[in-house]
Amino acid sequence: MNLYRPELSRFRFLRWFDFRTWRLGMLAYILNRVTALGLVLYLYIHLVVLTMLAAGPKSWDPFVAIVRSPFFLALDVILLAGLLIHGLNGLRVALTGFGCGVRAQKPLFVALMLFAAIALLIGAIKIFTG
Amino acid sequence: MPNKKSSWGWFWQAVTGILLILLVGLHMVAHHFVAEGGLRDFKQVIEYLSNPVIIVAELAFLISVTVHAMLGMRSILFDLGLSARMERFVTQASIVVGGLTVLYGFWLTYTILAQGSAPTAFLFP
Repeated sequence: MNLYRPELSRFRFLRWFDFRTWRLGMLAYILNRVTALGLVLYLYIHLVVLTMLAAGPKSWDPFVAIVRSPFFLALDVILLAGLLIHGLNGLRVALTGFGCGVRAQKPLFVALMLFAAIALLIGAIKIFTG
Repeated sequence: MPNKKSSWGWFWQAVTGILLILLVGLHMVAHHFVAEGGLRDFKQVIEYLSNPVIIVAELAFLISVTVHAMLGMRSILFDLGLSARMERFVTQASIVVGGLTVLYGFWLTYTILAQGSAPTAFLFP
């Protein structure tokens, strides 16, 4: 069975790893896809972990004690980074898809990523000190 | 703007994406920023879910994130240059996996709430 169209025999996703194409637009595209894959992986790990809640406090509470450790809080910061990058970049994609700010999408991307960096810093401090 | 064939998927991905900005924000703040120590223990989870508005918000979050994730994965897989037959299979598989994910989330919410007491009695008369 031919799974691939002949004209598309070279996987398009390989462009993600071709640094020669890494203009700002391509970088935004790659960031969106890579964070998407990471967040989907996290979603299913999260759902599996939450199964412990179904077993009640005897199962959940010892786990909570473990994930309150600095290592797991650092993972929370990585999650927050993925959410901020994907969410804000995705907002730009949605806006431009609906015809809003098409000409300003590059400065918009830069501004949103700067905002993401600031929000991440504040969030990381809150996660570790909260 | 995407072509007509994929525009429905793109539209719903955009709609769920915008919804998720609000719902993920609520989820992250409630579970990681407000909760003491960065995560709620069992008693705190039950207390949190005792509010019907929160249950609706969490279930809306579950549905939105699943639809968004399935459409996103479908889009990434389509980037592999699949045949029309494989694209149909990926679409059908996304619907099945997404449906099972939402069903699991509802079952999990029900099971957690069933262990709660008075605050959730309205769900289990």
